[in-house]
Amino acid sequence: MDREAEFGRLYEAHRAAVHAYFAGKTGDRQLAADLMQEVFLRAWQHLDKVAGLPDDGQRGWLFTVARNLSVDTARQQRTADGTQRALEGEPSSRQNSAVAPASTAVLAAERASVVAAAIATLPEQQRITLTMAAAGDMNSAEIGAALGVPAGTVRYRLSLARRTLAEALGDYDDAQEEEQ
Amino acid sequence: MSLDDDLAAWAATVRLPDVDAAAIFQRIVVAPAARPAAAPRLKPSWWRGYNAGFAARMVASTAPVRLAA
Repeated sequence: MDREAEFGRLYEAHRAAVHAYFAGKTGDRQLAADLMQEVFLRAWQHLDKVAGLPDDGQRGWLFTVARNLSVDTARQQRTADGTQRALEGEPSSRQNSAVAPASTAVLAAERASVVAAAIATLPEQQRITLTMAAAGDMNSAEIGAALGVPAGTVRYRLSLARRTLAEALGDYDDAQEEEQ
Repeated sequence: MSLDDDLAAWAATVRLPDVDAAAIFQRIVVAPAARPAAAPRLKPSWWRGYNAGFAARMVASTAPVRLAA
């Protein structure tokens, strides 16, 4: 198999999982894409080594790079945020502003924003796990192997995250009913 | 709408579109592969000389100072 085809197989097999990991970690699809590109660029540059690994070894290699990269990125982000806050004299919270669409035509979008906002407030490990499950189409064992935690821990995190989401959506539904 | 439906709808907004993934793939494969870094090597004779010099300096620096007559 030629080099590009080999890399293409690796890329297609794992890109969704790696992107979902970064999307959960950063909460930003585009930043996640940039970070995913960086991971696969390194895989491309070390393809001779990575291609020789078994499937789970390849995923392990990719997620080791991804985790290291996310640590570096978080460190840089904290430094940049701190500098920005120092310059602007603003508090550190970066909460999403509330969105209040009025038209019924955007109810679905509003509900989606409630889901997104609830997910954004989840603890990081729950958010990453949930994103990998929902957007990365990964099962508990796969997520556990990627994150280096037991599958039972993954299932527990998913359960907590889903409960939080259900509560948030329940509150939203109640508010909707009161308005009508 | 069930929680799973909500999550599926949200996940669709999070996933990287195929067209973007393909563009990233193309950007990567035009990058050159890493060349194995040349490991710096020293000749064995360099180490022998280094060790001998180090030992000689240690002995000289820890020897008692000879008093002037």
